[in-house]
Amino acid sequence: MKHSSALIFGYNEYGIEIAKNVSHKYKDIIIYSLNDVEESAENDFGFKIEKFDLSDRWDEIEARSDLESSMIFCALGSEANNIFLTLSLRSAFKDVTIISLANNKEDANKLQMAGASKVIPIVETTANIITDMLKKPIVTRVLHNILYENSALKIKQIEIQNEAFFSDRFPGDIEWSREYGVIVLSVIHEDMSGEFIYSAKAKHHTIKNGDIFVTVGYEEDLKEFEKLLGGRK
Amino acid sequence: MKTLNRLVIDAAYFLNSSVWYQKKRRFFSNLLENDDYKYKRYFDIFMILLIFSSVSILIYEVKKDVHDYLNIFNSYIISFIFFVEYILRLWIYSSISKVIINQDEYSDLLGKNFSLSFVIQRVIKDKLKYILSIKAIIDLLAILPFFHELRLLRIFILFRMFKLFRYAKNFHTFASILTTKKFEFFALAMFAIIVIFVSSVLIYVMETNDPNTKIKTLYDAFYWSIVTISTVGYGDVVAVSSEGRFVAIIVIISGISVLAFTTSLFVSAFTEEIEDIKEDKSIQDVSKLDRLYIICGYENIAKELAKKLTYAKFNIVVLDENLERINNAKKDGLLALNYNPGSVDSYKKLNVKMNTQVNAILCLREDDVQNVYTALTIRSLNKDVYIMSILMNHSNRVKMLNSGVNEVLYDKEFVGLVAREYVGQPVAFEVIHALRSDDSVINIEEIAITERVLQNFAFVSELDNIKYRVVLLGIQKKSKNRFFFNPIDETLLEVGDYLLVIGNYMFIKEFTKYLLTKVRDRK
Repeated sequence: MKHSSALIFGYNEYGIEIAKNVSHKYKDIIIYSLNDVEESAENDFGFKIEKFDLSDRWDEIEARSDLESSMIFCALGSEANNIFLTLSLRSAFKDVTIISLANNKEDANKLQMAGASKVIPIVETTANIITDMLKKPIVTRVLHNILYENSALKIKQIEIQNEAFFSDRFPGDIEWSREYGVIVLSVIHEDMSGEFIYSAKAKHHTIKNGDIFVTVGYEEDLKEFEKLLGGRK
Repeated sequence: MKTLNRLVIDAAYFLNSSVWYQKKRRFFSNLLENDDYKYKRYFDIFMILLIFSSVSILIYEVKKDVHDYLNIFNSYIISFIFFVEYILRLWIYSSISKVIINQDEYSDLLGKNFSLSFVIQRVIKDKLKYILSIKAIIDLLAILPFFHELRLLRIFILFRMFKLFRYAKNFHTFASILTTKKFEFFALAMFAIIVIFVSSVLIYVMETNDPNTKIKTLYDAFYWSIVTISTVGYGDVVAVSSEGRFVAIIVIISGISVLAFTTSLFVSAFTEEIEDIKEDKSIQDVSKLDRLYIICGYENIAKELAKKLTYAKFNIVVLDENLERINNAKKDGLLALNYNPGSVDSYKKLNVKMNTQVNAILCLREDDVQNVYTALTIRSLNKDVYIMSILMNHSNRVKMLNSGVNEVLYDKEFVGLVAREYVGQPVAFEVIHALRSDDSVINIEEIAITERVLQNFAFVSELDNIKYRVVLLGIQKKSKNRFFFNPIDETLLEVGDYLLVIGNYMFIKEFTKYLLTKVRDRK
């Protein structure tokens, strides 16, 4: 039976951190190493380690994983190897999501040309996070805790299935925090365009089924709120 | 005598421990001598203006009558200001009270009697040292026009121009650069003097008896030599005999050499010192900055971060012991110094107050050993300054925290978190990113609760944020060091708390203004 997997190429600190952070979503995580590894090896965190080489033999992966719902991370130590791997994977699998790491902008462009769905520029990402920490330390800490679930606060996308709840009311008119203990940040419409809850557009936009609320709150309150709006996302 | 000694000693101790007196003394000392003192620049400009106005009046006066007010201003007021400045400089040059206290302690230690005469001698010696310095003599000559009835003394107004040396720091720099080539300039001057002397005597001997010559005296010969060796060559006095012309050829060749050497000496002196001058300038610039961020090490992450911080108008200075990296930082338009971030001396030379001027120090070498070393160096100097450091290898995290780093930044962890975004709730992450982005009109901001805000608002319920279409996400309580999401109306506001608000940046601006506007102003 094919699994929905996270396939991480690169048995290094980047690979392990990625594995740790996607483990809540993927049960089947395999870290591929270019070096020799013992058969059915596991690292300290319990992730499976397998050897691979840069030849175009991907039959084994294709056989075990449902690539449409899987995600591939290219996190090899060498930039050239990473680009080569991305190119090789893309030519083998047209629709799989490939996320590759790049050290700089030049490599990011090459990786995109090679077919990466998303590129994580390491230096830029680090610099962005440090800048945020220096510019707005409290905001960064709070948002970080919310986003990465380090606190009881959660952020949730809630799909509206009970549009009757909004009859004659606009989301900006309702005091969400007082009435339901949650804060609605924005509304994402069916066409995926987003509006901040108090923006002029959102104030005149009638909520329809299928719209998504991006909401912050404590887990229990969010569950109650979700029930109220009849959605699940 | 003993009573007098006692009185003098008591007075000295009183002055030495008087906060008011020491504060005044420090103020004048900074104003007159400390280039880093912010008000010195204004004082210098004021004095330069006085000098120029004084000389302008002197020039105007040569052919025209000036108003009496101007004469009084020039002769009395300016002279009086210069006199006060002279006395203040004399006062701050050396401390009389310290001499008395030292002598008292010395006498006490050796069981001798306090010697007032020794103190007087010592004080006179110290003060004379100042009075006889070139700068002090110029200052004194600049005051002399006060006795303007003596017409001769009016010319001393010109001495006021020499005072400019005191107020323009560039002159000091210029003089100090030239002093580095003192020996070479001296050798060249000796050569020129010998050539001038020999050629003057030679031309005098060879030409003076020629009926067609204009060189009649040794003074004429000296004048000719100077005009020729300087390659000016007016042509009013020329050599007419063949022997004289031969001497002229030698002097002209020597003159060209002297001129060429002098020029090259100036150029080489400035070229050699230019880096030091630039460094001095950079240090001066840094010492004037507030809310400073010191970046230690200029590699990939530092480069990217510096770009972003510069864009956000942060005051940053880069330190790196590697010249190539520092040159890169300079090319990127940053204030950069080729100092080793792991050396205590670097921070001393930087001349910044860590507690008040520095917001954070960022250890950004892509090498854990270097960052730990830098962090320890900084901690040995200051216990409180905020240190952030990047971590390259996870196994070094504890060592880094033990070295005194407040915040460890692990790039692999950041990459992991970004990966989590892609597999998690991408829409929610995008909303948060949009809130943090500088380009977005909807922002998330921190608003500090200050004394001023508290004058008007005591509880969360009074904030009226909904009226301003601003979402109050929560409040960071300083006293509990905790974030309270969606705080209840009865939450008490305290100084040091932060409100986290989300909204259109214009509305947030208006809301902040509203919080800071006094109730009585609003009414």
